[in-house]
Amino acid sequence: MSKGKIAIIGIGEVPTANRPERTHWDIIYDTCMEAIRDSGLHKNDIEGVISVNPMAQPKIAAEIAFGKLPEELGLKGCKDTVICNAGGASTSNCLRMAEQWITSGVAKAVIVQHVTLHSTIPLVDQINFFAKAGVDLQWEYPYGTTYNIIMGLIANRYMHDSGCTPQEMASVVTALRSWAARDPNSFFYGKDVPSVEKVLASDLLNTPLHKRESNVLGDGGCAMVVVSAKDAKKMKKPAAYKLGESVRYFSGTCVMRDFKKVQEGFRVTAKEALDQAGITKEDVSLWNVYIAYPLAHPIMAEALEVAPPGQGGKYFLQGRMSFGGDIPWSTIGDAPGRGHTGSGVSAATYVETARQLMGKAGERQVKGCRYVYQNTSGGSGFNNIATIWGKES
Amino acid sequence: MDFDMKKPVPETQPWSEKFWEGTKQGKLLIQFCKDCSSKIFYPRKFCPECWSGNLDWIEASGKAKIHTFSTAYSMVEPKFMDELPYTIAYVDLEEGIRMMTRIVQCKPEEIKIGMDVEVVFHEREGFMLPYFRPVKK
Repeated sequence: MSKGKIAIIGIGEVPTANRPERTHWDIIYDTCMEAIRDSGLHKNDIEGVISVNPMAQPKIAAEIAFGKLPEELGLKGCKDTVICNAGGASTSNCLRMAEQWITSGVAKAVIVQHVTLHSTIPLVDQINFFAKAGVDLQWEYPYGTTYNIIMGLIANRYMHDSGCTPQEMASVVTALRSWAARDPNSFFYGKDVPSVEKVLASDLLNTPLHKRESNVLGDGGCAMVVVSAKDAKKMKKPAAYKLGESVRYFSGTCVMRDFKKVQEGFRVTAKEALDQAGITKEDVSLWNVYIAYPLAHPIMAEALEVAPPGQGGKYFLQGRMSFGGDIPWSTIGDAPGRGHTGSGVSAATYVETARQLMGKAGERQVKGCRYVYQNTSGGSGFNNIATIWGKES
Repeated sequence: MDFDMKKPVPETQPWSEKFWEGTKQGKLLIQFCKDCSSKIFYPRKFCPECWSGNLDWIEASGKAKIHTFSTAYSMVEPKFMDELPYTIAYVDLEEGIRMMTRIVQCKPEEIKIGMDVEVVFHEREGFMLPYFRPVKK
């Protein structure tokens, strides 16, 4: 995928909240109609519909997979529709597919959407699904591991190697929630930002992870309208242009994932994506990192060379990545700030990337936002996809 | 609420059964490629390095060092609640293999990264899971 072929020209989103009275289709209508209206296109201009697979929701996933969405919304110009599942990396793949459809002539305008309703999944099904997804059933699951424990394993080793303190780790939550408190689509909008002391005073789930360092599951959804960069330019509307991309695969099984290789993967994908965009890290206005757990953010900050080696946690504790700090970072607060909508957090992060570049982020607007780094990662971290987006093509 | 409280056993593949037969005999086996000399974990149908099917097994010493660990105090599956607190670790075997395991026979606060550990086998539903315990000095 090369530089500057597509752009996001319209976005739509609903607040993340556990409100089971909103059905999947309620959210799909609201987000898709808002995104299409925002794009300035007519509904019948949408020629492609690409959906992020809703995890652990087989009924809606099957309805979408078997083509109901264009019919339900009356998208009379739709030529094709598909659903894509790569866990948290699904949205990146939806956008890749949109790029392929647009550049090959399959579709001129594509809508990419995601919906998740965790609140309607029976607790037993939720536990059964998330206990096993991304964990090897022969070599990991029988020992009693969980996603939280996988993050604990990574964080403990990082803290051992870097000297990062529990206070520094806890400060990541404070930073992420400082953005979330100002995001009307966040689970924690308008809520108090927990102090480092409050984070560390919450229950210890598994070392070194406290309850406030884990995620709250929520319902949510969003949509984006994508067209060619050339068409976006002609429309003379605020847009987010895709300028660069790079990816590395690590491993499907957690224990096979070498931590150093992952950190190197974070570093090299950023460098390759920046090179493709023709910019340097100094040009980046916003590091829109999606990594699901706060404990991994200092590792990412160091790998991206935003913080020097061993200083990632200190940067967060100093408030540099918080709202008002000098390094704009994860301005929806990643999953700990937004509320975890399954594969939808990455979709919401792309919507935020577009929103910032379009200048529509309200109180969270990064001043002079010109270039955004955004990553996604699938499963329990099987890959890292780095992308660069710009205000202009 | 109707949770499945049965503790899970490894979902084996035909090419990993020898590993689990070994654990029943108190042996920690590592798959070995006779063509490229790779030590393979987890066991595969073909060598992931050279795709040879000429595979054999060697017995590991059972000695390892803790690469990292995390001790669980809550928020695990209901079927594991009765075992809390418990410690999950990645251990590096002397043979250069890393595996996930449990650290047992010590207090959680005694567990450290770099600690020397040795294999002990834990019975579950006819399987013997390789757990590790600190090596006594």
